[in-house]
Amino acid sequence: MKITKKAKREAKRLYRFCLLNGLLDENRARQIVRRVVATGERDCLPILTHFLRLVKLDCAQHTATVESATLLPTDLQAVVQTELARRYGLGLTTAFARRPELIGGMRIQVGCDVYDGSVRAGLEALNKSF
Amino acid sequence: MADLLNEIKAQIAGAKMTAAKQNIGVIREVGDGVAKIEGLSDAMLNEMIDLGNGVTGLALNLDETEVGVVVLGDYTQLKEGGEARTTGKLLQVPVGKGLLGRVVNLLGEPIDGKGPIKSDKTYPVEKTAPGIIRRRSVSQPVQTGIMPIDAMIPIGRGQRELIIGDRGTGKTTICIDTIISQARLNKAAELAGDKDYRLLYCIYVAIGQKQSTIARVISVLEQAGAMPYTIVVASPASDSAANQYLVPFAGAAMGEWFMDNGMDALIVYDDLSKQAVAYRQVSLLLKRPSGREAYPGDVFYLHSRLLERAARVGEKYGNGSLTALPIIETQSGDVSAYIPTNVISITDGQIFLETDLFHQGVRPAINVGISVSRVGSAAQLKAVKQVAGQLKGDLAQFRELAAFAQFGSDLDEKTQAQIDRGKRIMEIFKQRQYNPIPVEIQVVVIWAAQNGYLDQVPVARVKEFQNKLTEYFTTRKGQLLAKIGREKELNDELKAELKAAAEEFKQTWK
Repeated sequence: MKITKKAKREAKRLYRFCLLNGLLDENRARQIVRRVVATGERDCLPILTHFLRLVKLDCAQHTATVESATLLPTDLQAVVQTELARRYGLGLTTAFARRPELIGGMRIQVGCDVYDGSVRAGLEALNKSF
Repeated sequence: MADLLNEIKAQIAGAKMTAAKQNIGVIREVGDGVAKIEGLSDAMLNEMIDLGNGVTGLALNLDETEVGVVVLGDYTQLKEGGEARTTGKLLQVPVGKGLLGRVVNLLGEPIDGKGPIKSDKTYPVEKTAPGIIRRRSVSQPVQTGIMPIDAMIPIGRGQRELIIGDRGTGKTTICIDTIISQARLNKAAELAGDKDYRLLYCIYVAIGQKQSTIARVISVLEQAGAMPYTIVVASPASDSAANQYLVPFAGAAMGEWFMDNGMDALIVYDDLSKQAVAYRQVSLLLKRPSGREAYPGDVFYLHSRLLERAARVGEKYGNGSLTALPIIETQSGDVSAYIPTNVISITDGQIFLETDLFHQGVRPAINVGISVSRVGSAAQLKAVKQVAGQLKGDLAQFRELAAFAQFGSDLDEKTQAQIDRGKRIMEIFKQRQYNPIPVEIQVVVIWAAQNGYLDQVPVARVKEFQNKLTEYFTTRKGQLLAKIGREKELNDELKAELKAAAEEFKQTWK
């Protein structure tokens, strides 16, 4: 499906409607999608496809994924959560996951930003330096 | 032993593991040497992007949600969904004297099989041109060894002189001749221990040419012994469009190192038409809006920012220079096309080569009428200026009269004499390729022509006369030639000596 510049512009306008104090308002987003579908206009599919992309990117920007070889203890999780909230502001959802291939350490991703302190990343860097 | 263990333990306890922040993105689309990457919110313009699998890209389009990247390596190794990360580095190339005598690619990597390059310094490929304060006007000549150029369209160190013409008119040959001439002059100065002579290093940038053509150029330079003073930067036709568009900037960075370190360099861009075509391809793939002839709107800026990097800097800044000889290929002699007019307006003059002249046997096929050097005369040697001052006007007059004479009407004596003189001058300006003529010989030959020594020689034998005269002066009047080279000006004493020598030669000429 070809998403025209006009459709992209429209999707962006709709996305801006969904923002409340700089954060995505889920109810508004749902309402907008319902309304656009209801109009049944020819352009609604490309508009909603691009809208979905923008919402996805927004979600990724406000989601922190914390990965570690073993699940972190609750007190450490709380420390990490507080530190991330301090750095990225409120509205950040933090998800903790277990990823054994990291061997040790922690890898945190918030949108495009990655803080990789895992043993695996260290080994890869060492490998590259050779 | 216990001490060592305690020391190691203390080191471990004191060690702090830091996780540096990285900015990553996901490859969303890849093809035709261009990748679209979602994310990379911190990417800078022209920043190198690590695309994984050892492939690097250059960020050219920064959009709100994605980054357009041109892939500098093999894009077929990239996959949709792959991870890309910023490097915080701009595209850089190695610079320095270690590159002399080598053939390198866009990244400064050797492609001549002569092992690694010894260089510990790098320069960014994109660099701002020297500003007004740093510059000074052109005052030293570049001796191309090509008589019509040195006599009528002189080039100075730090100048940008465009070489323009159709395919197969000898554009590359002029540049190769110039490089060979510099190598000879450099070698002679080194042998004579002349410390006043500023060596001129050369950089030949081959853009989108056939590999066989590049190999031929390299072999000519090697045979002429010019490679020790030359760097060849090549991006052949088989390279990606991104490489072809970036390679002149890499060459300019290598040349700038010489300029910044108080040395002189000459760079040949062969040719910028192909670079513009490669840039158009990259721009269209990046979906940038297109303008005239489908070139992007910033194609003028592409060439102006490249050619502005050629300059002569002041004493305070090292007194170095970078002279640029860009080449533009025209279609059917049309100099009013988009790219030719752009580059003509940027440069400090142009040497126009014509197919008709080439086929008439006038080689180099320079059309003196529309060729011009806007700043070079300030740098021309006084001796050359003295003998060649009137030449351009004489030749222009000859062209006009010759066209008129075609109607077959009777001509008065004066007109006939002007036409005859013109024909002889045209003959002496014919020159074999890869055979630059030293400036002292040029002075002698033009002086002889201007003083009527050729008037009695039949036009068909002018070349023979010139060769014999050159041989006579080289073998018997070496001291006089050296004196001309040293004094760089024809004073009355030198003129008398020249006259005596020419008269002596005339007696022997049959």
